[in-house]
Amino acid sequence: MRIKTLLILFCLVLPQISLADGPPKSLNSPEGVSAISPGSELWRAVRQRDGEVLEGVSQVKSVDSGMLINARGDQWARFRISKLTTYGGIAIAAVFVIVILLYVVRGKIPIEGGLSGRMVRRFTDYERIVHWTLAIVFLFLTITGLILLLGKPLLIPLFGKEVFSVFASASKEGHNLFGPLFLVSLIMIFLSFARRNIYEKGDLTWLLKGGGIIGDGHVSGGFFNMGEKTWYWMVILIGFAIAISGLILVSPVFGQGRWIMELSHVIHTIGALILITVSIGHMYLGSIGSEGAMEGMKSGYVDINWADAHHDRWGKKCHDENLIISAEEYARLQGRKPDDTAELATEQGK
Amino acid sequence: MIEYLIDGPLWYFSLAVFVIGVLWQLGSIVFAGRKGDLSVARGNATSSGFKNIFSRFIPHREIAPQIGVQVVAGYLFHLGLFALLFFAAPHVLFLEENLLGFGWTPMPHWAFIMASQAAFLGLIILWVRRMTNPVSRLISTLDDHIVAILTFVVMLTGCLALLEGFNALRLLHRFTVELWLIYFPFSALMHTFTFIPSRAFTGAWFGRRGIDA
Amino acid sequence: MGEQMSERLEKGLAVLRAEMDYKVHSFFSSCVNCGVCAESCLFYTETNDPRYTPIYKTEPMRKLWKSEYSFWGRLASKLGMTKPLTEADLADWEELVYDGCSMCGRCSMVCPVGVDISMVIFKVKHALAVAGFSPEGLVETTQRAIDVGSPMGVTLKTVQAMIKHVEANTGLSVPMDVEGADYMALLSSNEIALYPEYLESLVKIFDHAGVSWTLSSQAFEATNSGLQIGNKKIAGQLVQRVVDGAEKLKVKTVISPECGHAYTALRWEGPNFIGKAYPFRVVHILELLDELRAQGRIKTTGMETDRLTFHDPCSIVRRGGVQAQPRNLLEPITENFVEMADHGSMNWCCGGGGGVSGNERAHDLKLTAFNKKKSQIEELKVDAVVTACSNCRMVMEDGLEANEMEIPLLGLTELIAEHLDEKRTS
Repeated sequence: MRIKTLLILFCLVLPQISLADGPPKSLNSPEGVSAISPGSELWRAVRQRDGEVLEGVSQVKSVDSGMLINARGDQWARFRISKLTTYGGIAIAAVFVIVILLYVVRGKIPIEGGLSGRMVRRFTDYERIVHWTLAIVFLFLTITGLILLLGKPLLIPLFGKEVFSVFASASKEGHNLFGPLFLVSLIMIFLSFARRNIYEKGDLTWLLKGGGIIGDGHVSGGFFNMGEKTWYWMVILIGFAIAISGLILVSPVFGQGRWIMELSHVIHTIGALILITVSIGHMYLGSIGSEGAMEGMKSGYVDINWADAHHDRWGKKCHDENLIISAEEYARLQGRKPDDTAELATEQGK
Repeated sequence: MIEYLIDGPLWYFSLAVFVIGVLWQLGSIVFAGRKGDLSVARGNATSSGFKNIFSRFIPHREIAPQIGVQVVAGYLFHLGLFALLFFAAPHVLFLEENLLGFGWTPMPHWAFIMASQAAFLGLIILWVRRMTNPVSRLISTLDDHIVAILTFVVMLTGCLALLEGFNALRLLHRFTVELWLIYFPFSALMHTFTFIPSRAFTGAWFGRRGIDA
Repeated sequence: MGEQMSERLEKGLAVLRAEMDYKVHSFFSSCVNCGVCAESCLFYTETNDPRYTPIYKTEPMRKLWKSEYSFWGRLASKLGMTKPLTEADLADWEELVYDGCSMCGRCSMVCPVGVDISMVIFKVKHALAVAGFSPEGLVETTQRAIDVGSPMGVTLKTVQAMIKHVEANTGLSVPMDVEGADYMALLSSNEIALYPEYLESLVKIFDHAGVSWTLSSQAFEATNSGLQIGNKKIAGQLVQRVVDGAEKLKVKTVISPECGHAYTALRWEGPNFIGKAYPFRVVHILELLDELRAQGRIKTTGMETDRLTFHDPCSIVRRGGVQAQPRNLLEPITENFVEMADHGSMNWCCGGGGGVSGNERAHDLKLTAFNKKKSQIEELKVDAVVTACSNCRMVMEDGLEANEMEIPLLGLTELIAEHLDEKRTS
């Protein structure tokens, strides 16, 4: 019994002894007693506030296993929550507003003299397949990606955490699965379209005239105009950055540490936000924004008047090389029944 | 309630529709009355018919370059789908526990991911081609699109439930599978089975005339 | 068109329903509309018109199958939600089936699920023929075949005149109505009217090989317009004439001439058209020549030094199975033989089979389709093209002439006759 009491006493005294060994200077400072808690120095060091990196030793042998705490993680998390999410969401909403305003103000940009019905071949079957494959994969990744990025501020208030967790899990699995498909379709896009997207003489005038959105009349362009080429290289360069950073994020088995993961995440998100916002403009100009543009990716043929208006140098080449086909020929190639057959049918039907 | 329906009655109903529907359709092909051919055969119809079931997995050299997209995308999709269907770990376990009573070695997770990516890529390409190619657009029917989209949705819900952490996602997948099973016997999905008699009939026809089809 | 279903439509529907067998059921339920068949069809590849996609040509039958045999179709029909097959549908498909299909059967070779597309197209053709939706030219020739006995109006007198000419040329006699002969030879209209060399060659070869053979004054015509127009009943009547002739002369074997569709009609479809098996054998002339060659009864001498190729007639090779024989026969008499790309059972049609050559309305389309063969021939840079079907020969001669290409067409049987070793001739 006596021994037990002695032991407790010893334990209570022990910390006092060790403190007495090396008391903090502040205690004896001339300013008097400081209010700083004794643990604060320790935690300041642990969190590496002074920029000094603590490298510890652990029995776990893996990347960053000696790191006691990821000091930059906080910074990264705050950047994601406050900046990426907020500005990203605002950017996407803003582009939507701009596109709607553009449509209200300018409407569908018509072709001078309207559509002629005479067509020229613009894209092959394979090129259209590649485009739409990339488009579908991109759209799926956009939706699942945005659920993951904007879910917290937008979806949780709407559906609650319970439901959002289901969405989030589904989106994460889907996003990770479709990611590599984006890389594959990106490579196919690169191989199919790279040559025609090399900048050439005359592209600059397009830029100087603001791509035709500002002012009246269309501006000069080859097979692809300056705007399209720029969009193409954005897709290729940013796309590859997104794909590679995505692969780094999805497979943390190649020795990449926290720092690389954070960097990849930031590149991945910023890149994706840029492509998503610009793609909204691309979709707008390719469909309801510009008369006759959708046809090219639908059937592979475009109206010659559209070609002359938007890609005059290519249009001229089509005229010169006699590549234009009549409306009847176009209808035939699309598998529409020729009119004389219809007449014949009614004649014989009588 | 919904969980009970999807895991219970609807599952058995869809399974019954699938099995009876497929058997009925196949039966009406296999057991239909047929007239014998009165001409004198030159080659063996039976062996050619059997051979043709397999030989048509490889396109003729003379046409392969023209149909490259369909062949590559078709194989990506079908091989991926079969791998998923029969070798995905949850599927093997499900079949063992609910239908067969025995299982086999499922494929590893990385193989599952690659198989599903192949299947998705193939299906997307085939469907896009159906929508953009003038020939496919002309001959495709509503059923072809329903089948493509339904299969896509089944695969997608399966992959979204990959974490196996949420019952809602599992139920969603199972529900789409049930819709797919019910739709199966009355749609182009029947080609899963009827390509066998079709190839056999045509192979036999050519075979008895002494032609290697 | 009133509310009441017209008689023509009803006739067509009756044929389609009667032809809706287990194969059709299997074919339509396995077709996934992949469109691979389009790439195999020269009417599609040469025009790029999607309507010439082979499976699309079967649409009237598929429409009926959908609405009367498939689950959703029957449900929708019950609810009045489907558009039934109309007379206008049949009228629309006349051009696709008669002008835009040479029944070459290449599509049936490539279908990934194994649909014998050309067989189904023939069923549609049958329905159109019975419903009266056939091109005028074919209707006339078919009528002539029934009335006169030959689609080109060839009579026995014409044949007799030709025989006299052949006998004078060769110094050999042409056996006619010889009872108990081993073989009975037939001629196609083309061979009587355009290529009398064929009969001359037969006489020489059979004399050389010592074959016991005969012509029949009752059944000399092998052309079967019924098959071309797609009417199985008429086709059966025409086959029956040959069967009667052969039975009367008690021959052991009937020889189909080089003509491709005549071979199909006699050898493969004939017994089914008339509903009973033959009491005799049917061989294609190339089969017989190859048999004689193998037995050593035909001895040839000399070689063709020209660069030659062989055009595989669809009905004889892909749909007839006579593929090795022409090669066996050409090998000993040609020094410089080259195969065409895609030769054999995957050959490209000349564009004039299946009654297309007899259909004047289809003339321009036929010439467009011929572009395939033209480019194949050009690629090979040959001096002459050998073939074994008088129809292919005529179509290709027309096509080459229209393209101002001076490449002669040779009949394989004639080529053999020219190389007979005279020393052995009895």
